[in-house]
Amino acid sequence: MNETEARLARIRGAVPARDHNARTIAALCSNPGCARRAVLDAAGVDKQRLAAYIDFPARFGQSQFAITRGNAFEAQVKANGCAELLRLLREKLGLPIPEVSYDDLELVGGNDSREVRYARSRSLLARAAASGAGAGTLFDHPLLRLEIGGRKAYLEPDLIAFQLHDRFHVVEIKSFAVIDGQADAGKVAAAVTQAAVYVLALRDLVTELGYAPEKVAHDVVLVCPENFSNRPTAVLVDVRKQLTVLKRQLSRLARIDELLAALPAELTFDLEVDDAGVPTRPAASVVEALRTVQARYTPECLDTCEMAYFCRDEARDDTAALGRTVRDELGGIESVTNVLGLANGSLAPAAEQVEAAQLLQMAARLREESLMAMLRGVAL
Amino acid sequence: MVGVAESIANLEKRIDQLRAEVRRAAMSGDRARARALRAELREAERAWDDAIAEVERKAAPVEVEPVTPKQAGPLLPIREQVHQALTLLSVPAAPKLIVAVHEAFFAGQMLGTRLTSLRRDEERSFRSAPYSRPYYICSALTADLLSAARGLLAISTWPMSRRIIGPLSPRVDFLTAAIAVAEHISRIPDPAPAATRLLWRFAANIPGAAEGFDAMEPASVARAAEAELAVHLDADTSLREQAGQRARSQLSDVEQLFGSRLRAVPGTSGGAREAE
Repeated sequence: MNETEARLARIRGAVPARDHNARTIAALCSNPGCARRAVLDAAGVDKQRLAAYIDFPARFGQSQFAITRGNAFEAQVKANGCAELLRLLREKLGLPIPEVSYDDLELVGGNDSREVRYARSRSLLARAAASGAGAGTLFDHPLLRLEIGGRKAYLEPDLIAFQLHDRFHVVEIKSFAVIDGQADAGKVAAAVTQAAVYVLALRDLVTELGYAPEKVAHDVVLVCPENFSNRPTAVLVDVRKQLTVLKRQLSRLARIDELLAALPAELTFDLEVDDAGVPTRPAASVVEALRTVQARYTPECLDTCEMAYFCRDEARDDTAALGRTVRDELGGIESVTNVLGLANGSLAPAAEQVEAAQLLQMAARLREESLMAMLRGVAL
Repeated sequence: MVGVAESIANLEKRIDQLRAEVRRAAMSGDRARARALRAELREAERAWDDAIAEVERKAAPVEVEPVTPKQAGPLLPIREQVHQALTLLSVPAAPKLIVAVHEAFFAGQMLGTRLTSLRRDEERSFRSAPYSRPYYICSALTADLLSAARGLLAISTWPMSRRIIGPLSPRVDFLTAAIAVAEHISRIPDPAPAATRLLWRFAANIPGAAEGFDAMEPASVARAAEAELAVHLDADTSLREQAGQRARSQLSDVEQLFGSRLRAVPGTSGGAREAE
């Protein structure tokens, strides 16, 4: 393990490691097959900076407005001792009236260091778990810990509710609207995956304290604004599927040494920053280093990974870059050039490609005919 | 008329140009030129003001609906406004709620932004000359560590137990504040819309307080709040009393008002809890 740590430290170079958070962990799960992301994340490389340095700056990132909006909504839900949230939990989950206890874990006696907060979260949750109902219902911003690729990452859920049924529920507050019972599927998926990360971390904690992992419910409470108002609503979401994916992905991350074994020993993404903080390493050499680690680009990467534009550029001629459905439609042929060649007959299909080639040619003919028909229609 | 409008447009263009030139001169460090340009700029702006006044004078008077005069600036110093609002609520409250209460019941404007530094100013004032003011706007204290509770303001003249925030206290304070607001509203003959909205924000989150915004009665809101309060009050009061005694015996004067920083307080329930 120490060897791996040293190796990862060398890959990262002489800069502090970037910590994982629920967002990055959730993003990891969306493309488990990508070795590049796995290695960069395990080493804690600042991907944003790396991508910008090689001239493929990530154009995403959370907008300041979205963050402000999210915080304002969260503050509204939690205002006055979580008044709105208590109403929701009472209505939707049947939280009994006496269960209103609220513990703020964001600051511990004016101290916000992570170790202190983690210790306090742990002791309060332990007390709540030990004495059953009545000893703590809402825990605001507890700090949890999850081991990722051999490194402990601190995570901060929005809230944990403790239920009468002796189980902890993770509450995730998000500011996207649920309109008529429907919400943006992508955003829900992201929120649910994040919540699953918290569930996993919380389960780790209760197992450490000597309880069964089921003490943490696999249903998370998602709190969102309702319709076009600012009034919050709550839904219960089952995260069992995401939990399975996460666990698999994390166990895969734990095997990072296997990935590293396949890479050249001198690999590093150090930008060789000088004393003034200016990188001195030539960009071409960084690109070369990046190319030694295989990526698996899919269009979804654009939403979740800082390196996406670089990988997309690299995968330009690859049909996989168009998404899995498109690749399947194209008969599983790997490069766009080959697809076009097979379609217009300029490329002789290999034995296993005959069927795909026939389909492609038919599609090409169909396209041509419909285009011709349209052109004739215009001419008339 | 058209000619005047044209000359105004020209003036505006000129002002813009001058501003750009002033900026360039200032940036290049040419002070004398910048000063001259600024004088010119002021001249142009004055001409523009005159021209606008002229246009206004000439324009036919339009029937304008009388605008209700926007409430003037603050009538009282901010700390007195906060004191008023907190006294009405009778419990420690967050700045947002304080502003809402002020808007609902008191005259003048309260600048929410000034609340952020208020507590620090009060602490500084108390440290330099203790007890020289009749009251201070201070912190609420957390029950376990006796440190300042995040984002809550209180009044120094309140009994210590009221300023202590235990796990149940946020809810208890919410219900107590709801009762206070409801009673205050029932006393005034024609409550402002802001006051009714404030009450609704409480009522919406208290079980059985009101069927809807229109059907809301201050008396029934207060009754519902009292009913829920009865459930939590005993446990909360005893914890607050205990912590309050602890605070009075263990903390210095400044700490009693503004909270202690984190350090182990030996032999306290907070310390015992940590050790568990």
